[in-house]
Amino acid sequence: MFKIVSGFVRYNTTIRMERQHSSVVRTPLDSVKVQRRSKSRSYRQSYRSCLGAASRLGSTPAFTARRLNTSRKAPKLHNITEKVNAEQLALLMKSEWKLSYVTPLYQFRHTQLKSYSRQLSAFIAAEKQQGLAVEVEGSQNSFRVSFSAVQGMAGTDDDAETVLIQIHSKSIFARQDEHQRLIWSGWLTCINGNPDYLRSLPKDFICLPLFGSSGSEVLTSSVQSWFQQNFDCCFGPLEISHTSLQWLVALWTNCHTESNIQHLKMIWSIPVVPPLQITYTVNPQDAWDLWNSVRKSPQEEKETEEEEGRSIDIEEVMQFMQGLKSHFYRHFRLDLSAGSLKQVSTALGSAKYNGRIKISNSKYMITTLTLLTEGALLKMPI
Amino acid sequence: MAATLNQSGPPDSDSSSLNDQSVSSRTSNRSLRIAEKERKKTEADDPVVTALKYFSDVEAGTPLYGNDEFENNLVVVERVAYSKGLSPEAISVMLEFAMSLRMGTSPCVRVLKCLIPASVVPQEAVVRAWVWLGVGKIPTSTQVLFIKWVLTIFDMIDAKDQLRAIYGFIFSFVTDENLVCVVIHLLTLVISLRVFRVRKLLELQSKLGRQSFLLHLLSLYKVFCPELVTLCIPSRMRSGFKNHNNPWKSALIGVQKRNGSQVGPSNGLVFTIKDKTVSRKRKQCHLELPVLRSVVNKQDQTESSSSRKVVPLVQIHSFAELLENMHRIELPAQMGSLLGSSLALQYLDCVQDESALLRLNFWLGYALHEEFLFCGDGGASQNTEDSQHFLNKLLFTQHFLQEGFFSSEAFLYKFLGVWDGSLLRPQILDLLSNIPVVPSIQIGQLLFEPLMQLFFTSSLFFKCGLMECLNNMLLKWLTWHSVYALEDDLDISLNSHTSINMTLSGFKDSVMELVHFVGRLASVGLQLEGCHSLFLSFVLDFYETVCDTFLKYGLPLVVTPPPGVFYPALLATDPVSVDRLAYIMYRYKVNLVSAKSQEKVTEQAFHISRQTFREFNHYMVVLVNCLWNSKMFHPGMDIQLGEELLLKSNVPQPWTSFDLIHHPAFMSYAVDFHQRCWPGRKDMDLNSIKHSKPWSWYLEYLYSQGYDGLKQIVPSNISWQLTAGDRQGNSLSAQQR
Repeated sequence: MFKIVSGFVRYNTTIRMERQHSSVVRTPLDSVKVQRRSKSRSYRQSYRSCLGAASRLGSTPAFTARRLNTSRKAPKLHNITEKVNAEQLALLMKSEWKLSYVTPLYQFRHTQLKSYSRQLSAFIAAEKQQGLAVEVEGSQNSFRVSFSAVQGMAGTDDDAETVLIQIHSKSIFARQDEHQRLIWSGWLTCINGNPDYLRSLPKDFICLPLFGSSGSEVLTSSVQSWFQQNFDCCFGPLEISHTSLQWLVALWTNCHTESNIQHLKMIWSIPVVPPLQITYTVNPQDAWDLWNSVRKSPQEEKETEEEEGRSIDIEEVMQFMQGLKSHFYRHFRLDLSAGSLKQVSTALGSAKYNGRIKISNSKYMITTLTLLTEGALLKMPI
Repeated sequence: MAATLNQSGPPDSDSSSLNDQSVSSRTSNRSLRIAEKERKKTEADDPVVTALKYFSDVEAGTPLYGNDEFENNLVVVERVAYSKGLSPEAISVMLEFAMSLRMGTSPCVRVLKCLIPASVVPQEAVVRAWVWLGVGKIPTSTQVLFIKWVLTIFDMIDAKDQLRAIYGFIFSFVTDENLVCVVIHLLTLVISLRVFRVRKLLELQSKLGRQSFLLHLLSLYKVFCPELVTLCIPSRMRSGFKNHNNPWKSALIGVQKRNGSQVGPSNGLVFTIKDKTVSRKRKQCHLELPVLRSVVNKQDQTESSSSRKVVPLVQIHSFAELLENMHRIELPAQMGSLLGSSLALQYLDCVQDESALLRLNFWLGYALHEEFLFCGDGGASQNTEDSQHFLNKLLFTQHFLQEGFFSSEAFLYKFLGVWDGSLLRPQILDLLSNIPVVPSIQIGQLLFEPLMQLFFTSSLFFKCGLMECLNNMLLKWLTWHSVYALEDDLDISLNSHTSINMTLSGFKDSVMELVHFVGRLASVGLQLEGCHSLFLSFVLDFYETVCDTFLKYGLPLVVTPPPGVFYPALLATDPVSVDRLAYIMYRYKVNLVSAKSQEKVTEQAFHISRQTFREFNHYMVVLVNCLWNSKMFHPGMDIQLGEELLLKSNVPQPWTSFDLIHHPAFMSYAVDFHQRCWPGRKDMDLNSIKHSKPWSWYLEYLYSQGYDGLKQIVPSNISWQLTAGDRQGNSLSAQQR
């Protein structure tokens, strides 16, 4: 680990390089791993291009054009705190969420949440004690499940209302008044989902493509299988792709003037033997200056459009990333484009490639969730 | 149930009007049955009849010990029971005798053990026996034996409505600890549901703990009333209730074998919860078919369907039931589960509900994507066995429905781009051949580009496989066309489920694109593989489909093969390929002639372009000139060689080198023929076959070897007027228009 104080004035960059494996001798297993990883990436890349191809099938409604948007609105300070229940909002920001995508739910009713709570708690109890039947109406369950709708958390009218699920454990020994412990929580949401896609679904379907969970894996899979059995949907892991992470880098940096991001930390992994992981931390002001310099239109123009919030283009994002990469190259002769971005974090939140996200600032939650919703919709099989 | 009809009438109706000669003139059904039996046999002195009469008439309290009459009669009945089985009437009589304890408890067990039905068991007898059970004098072990007997013969009971009616009565026996196991099993057969019963069972469960028989009844309740009970079946639960030490089974099977009857003993309900055979734990389970379950949250449906009762698909166990309830079947909670049972597939064929099909497609697409496209850990190679199993199931379904799912289609378009051409090749190619017609604008990008890359970079084996796949695809498209084409507006709806509507010309464009594409692939493929005869054979398969599009499938489209296919086939070294080419050309001709004549008669909108005729005629001339006329390398043909080059080659008479005698494919036949024709000759002169007499013999000889393609070409197209030795073949003409 070493610190570089570069002669270049603009950036004050801390760079930490670490070898994941200190040993020089490579076992064949590791090299296989590396290959696999790269293979999976090529699958994903081609998946996107193939989806593009499939989207040209204009005749079938099922093949709607779905890609990550190439341009999106700059994150605006959403007055989400006014619209959404503060308690629920606090819960959403409390933990790091493991993301999944969900195919549309069949016959899901926001009016039935109470009954779903009862069913799910009985289901979980039954799963816990394999082979013992559990009465749905019974109250002897050691779990209390509550479904609630998060009012006001939606981008447009097409979006279905966000659903929050909490599981509390009831200890037999706990006294009546004792606080029940929250052991699992999760949510299903759709923020600014592609309206063409949402409208192409029949009325029986509710599309809440983004599922976040926090808590034990066992409970997560119980909840998922209950949803699968009751709403005929499917859950799959959702990674935050390289491109989405780059988007987040730009979107979060863009907020710096309104809300200090404190640091911009990126973790890159470079496919070499042995695997190399690079932590690249940028001073927030430097990052913002660089970002400002790649923004297409000058400052004055921005003022005129301030009402709507200027949109950010993918090219700007790429230029910004290129700026960061070339700075790194200048110092270390290492081209980061060869590797991939695995993790991004700022004071506004952190996002990891393996689909874990933490949103620390409610003001920019909508923007982040919009991006993730897009990613989830991209994974839909049809 | 059908089997019962010819054996005996329904228990109630038979008594009304049947026989006035019934001697015993008793009013009860029981004796009427005996009377009927008597009438049937018309043998008053049948020992069985007398025995049964004894058991029905014997007074209560008759002593058992030293009672020879009883012993003799019982032996008679036992003998009949174990050899032929007892008639329904006999069952009634004997059961009544045993359960009423008229001669005490000791003969009861013996009688029960010999109650082997020959055909059916009257329901009423069983119900009466239950009533006797309620009287309560019967020892518990005998009660258990009786219930086990009911379980064994359950499927042979002629009607079950009254049994269902006394469900509550049967349920009351659950309280008896000794009986609970068998009774519950019986209850699983005689299903009828009340809320309090679930409670009762749950109480019982807390008392007895995990018992598989309890679990089975509860799981059955779950099938019928999913909203009442939630249950998670352990993966390794013993399936069903084992009818331990069942004294009737072997005898029953023996009797049934002898009688040729088909009603089997009940082995308990076939539970929908099957033992999962998965022994190793799989990380990803997206390839598992969901279990068939009924919908839990029905509240919102009540307003629409309160008037009609729906039957969940889970409750349907036979095709007859399916037909009966066709109009009111409720789809399962997870559509993917339909793929798991053949009965459900029958129903899926009739499902028109768009949402239901969308659910199925979401699930299927999800499974395919997760397994083959998103697999992060390179999992596809690790569980090929599971993947193969899954794809085979999917293929089976698609073949059964004769229709592809659009999610598998969308998946394939993506997958072709990353496929290495060897992973699960047979299954993927089979899936590919199921895709519906692709509009001609997209076909290149979606199909041809990835396939071309795969084709040119993979083995001969893959090339053959792909050729077969494309042939199947074309066959399916053409079949769709011939089924769905509407004569009036020349508009076809290709697929009842997706709303792709295609005009005839659009369809023709797609087919044409496909045929041209395969033509290009085949031409280059033949070159790459050095005209491999296996590959050539697959190519010719494809053209056998193409040449008959008009006559076989009614599609006014004729596309001739490219030179890259025609010449390798013509100059192939195996006679079969040459013969098949001749056959294909013959079929082209038949199709073209018929299209031409139809065009003249109906003046329909379609016409086949002059260019096609010209190409065909040209090929025909080449074929005939080459094989029959020995005019190879003549000016005007596609294959031309310079004079000097031909001279240099030192081949005598090069123009004859591809006629039917010198063609490499037929040379051996010519030699063989020469030897047979002129056995004495030492020096072989194949040209002597050219003389008109031996030539016609030679052709006959070739046809006799099975080369019908050649035969069909010759008489129709060539008038043979060759004068001896005239190798110019002065007046040969191909008589196509």
